[in-house]
Amino acid sequence: MAFLNIFNFRFLNSLELFLILSKRDISVRFKQTALGMIWAIIRPITTMLVFLFAYKNLTNISNISGYPIQIVIYSGILFWNLFANSFQSVSNSILLSSNLISKVYFPRMIILFSSIAVSLIDFLFGLFVYFILAFYFNINISYNLFLLPVVVVIILFISIGLGAIFASFSVKKRDLLQLIPIIVQYGFFVTPIVYTSLEFYLKPWFKIYTFINPLVGLVEFFRFTLIRGYHVLSFNEILISIFSSISIFILGLLVFHFKKDTFVDYL
Amino acid sequence: MTSIVSVTSVSKKYQLPLTKKEVSESFFNKIFNRIKFEEYWAVKDVSFTLNKGDKLGIIGNNGAGKSTLLKILSKITKPTTGKVDIQGKVASLLEVGTGFHPELSGRDNIYLNGAILGMSKKQITQQFDEIVEFAGDQIIKFLDTPVKRYSSGMYVRLGFAISAHLDPDILIVDEVLAVGDADFQKKSLGKMKEVASKDKTILFVSHNLTAVANLCNKTLHLEKGYVKQFGETGEVLNNYLSAMQNNLLEQSFDHINLAPGNDLVKLKYAKLTPTLFGNQLIADVRSSLKIDIEFWNLLDNQNLNISLHIFASTGECIFNVGTLPKILDKGVVQASLTIPGYFLNDGNYLVSFMVVKDKSIVLFNFEEVFNFEIADYREETTWYGKWPGYVRPQFDFPIQQVSQIL
Repeated sequence: MAFLNIFNFRFLNSLELFLILSKRDISVRFKQTALGMIWAIIRPITTMLVFLFAYKNLTNISNISGYPIQIVIYSGILFWNLFANSFQSVSNSILLSSNLISKVYFPRMIILFSSIAVSLIDFLFGLFVYFILAFYFNINISYNLFLLPVVVVIILFISIGLGAIFASFSVKKRDLLQLIPIIVQYGFFVTPIVYTSLEFYLKPWFKIYTFINPLVGLVEFFRFTLIRGYHVLSFNEILISIFSSISIFILGLLVFHFKKDTFVDYL
Repeated sequence: MTSIVSVTSVSKKYQLPLTKKEVSESFFNKIFNRIKFEEYWAVKDVSFTLNKGDKLGIIGNNGAGKSTLLKILSKITKPTTGKVDIQGKVASLLEVGTGFHPELSGRDNIYLNGAILGMSKKQITQQFDEIVEFAGDQIIKFLDTPVKRYSSGMYVRLGFAISAHLDPDILIVDEVLAVGDADFQKKSLGKMKEVASKDKTILFVSHNLTAVANLCNKTLHLEKGYVKQFGETGEVLNNYLSAMQNNLLEQSFDHINLAPGNDLVKLKYAKLTPTLFGNQLIADVRSSLKIDIEFWNLLDNQNLNISLHIFASTGECIFNVGTLPKILDKGVVQASLTIPGYFLNDGNYLVSFMVVKDKSIVLFNFEEVFNFEIADYREETTWYGKWPGYVRPQFDFPIQQVSQIL
């Protein structure tokens, strides 16, 4: 079939190339650092400590919406880092691989997918630290944990989808790249990362808000799988977020598919 | 025989930004930094077909569209119009070691580069030892060292070694032969010939006509994006070479009034005759060059000599040679000079000469009397890089072993 056998690049070859590019990024990640993989957990921990410092000194609270403040913040940061890092690396992936794209033919989509590998590995390390924290604060883990892989996949979907759109439109003009730090910086505060959506659940605009920002539903779904008894949003609200994430994923890949042939001419 | 590669009126358009002067400096343009574009066809209406086993050489000057055509054939970029139909597994080598990561070891990079070029992991593992062996002994020691510590030679050798083991049906190569030291070039050309003999189809872009003549049965000559000629290599190369020959080798003036010069001396005749070997069309480094000069001397009883300069196309004077001075009377004066073969290196040269009185007063300087080109010629070498220098002497340079103990 011509579609699966594009220029003799069979699916198996694509899969192998995806794996080897992912492996490349991971093995290069901590080359020539003394602490190595430990760096993957230093970042979320420092972010958490900064917010703890602010909260304790400003308000002297020890829990948010009834859950330990450390657990809420750390799980939120874990979520945000996975999203933001994947989104950023997918957005930059095409420009960073310009030397490959302009010299060899292979299915360009592989680059999008392989560029999330590092964020995923960082996430797994951070998750390990989460379990230590949860144990310390007596947070029980429920069977909901089995849903964690599902949430992670959906987070990756929305990151790749958004990233693909940014990557596609930043080859010719680099303006969109300027938007990325803004999204990553301020998105952090307009999404319930260092607080929960319970804080403004009753506001009249909440419905529209969850609709516009699918990350709201995703982060609460994420916490639902990690914190026993955490029930902030209804399943309907979460489903809307999942649906829009998948739509963004499909839209992103479509945009990428129709733009990919012009990349070489503008790189 | 069915064609394995068929290219049908392929064109590729690029948009070049106009230079600042050409863009009107309107307020709107300034504010929004709008750039206007000019269309430019890098490749225009190129068609050809190749059968299985054909080796195609693609030649042309810089900017003729060779690289763009290769990129279209390799599917890296799409043609603006036209169709490319290729049957079989394609490997394109537009550079050596594409995607090498400096931090990764040689071993990891073999797998990485192989995967990028479309090899399966199994294929790479099967040929791993062969690849390493082909790359040379030095690599074996450094197999687990990051390639950023490799010398550029090792880097290139490893890159080529991987490419050489791709085993495609159709191989697209862009001058990768011009890399590495002479020894490795020999090896690479050997490998290319081996691939060539295996009924593979090769598309080969090169500036090096000798390499094209050795390797290819068909040649495509591109000029400014268009196909100038496509056909048998010998025929296309001959036409290409004769087209390049716009050299000024002879000047002759019948009437003294029309001849260049002044009221003291006038040029009558000047001719440069190279000795040509076989069915050669232009002089090469072997050729000796005979220069004949005749001029009208318009004064009696003068002590004259000729001083002749040869300049490289860059303007430097290669040498200056003069005749002995002689007392000459009114009339035609003749002089000739032979520059032996294996003296000038390949390149473009200009000749000028002056008529000098009493060894010091220049009567007239005849500038750019000849403009000629010397082609390269090599035997028993597989190294095709540019031979350095302006002269190409063959001196006796014996080498021998004087002892066997260190």
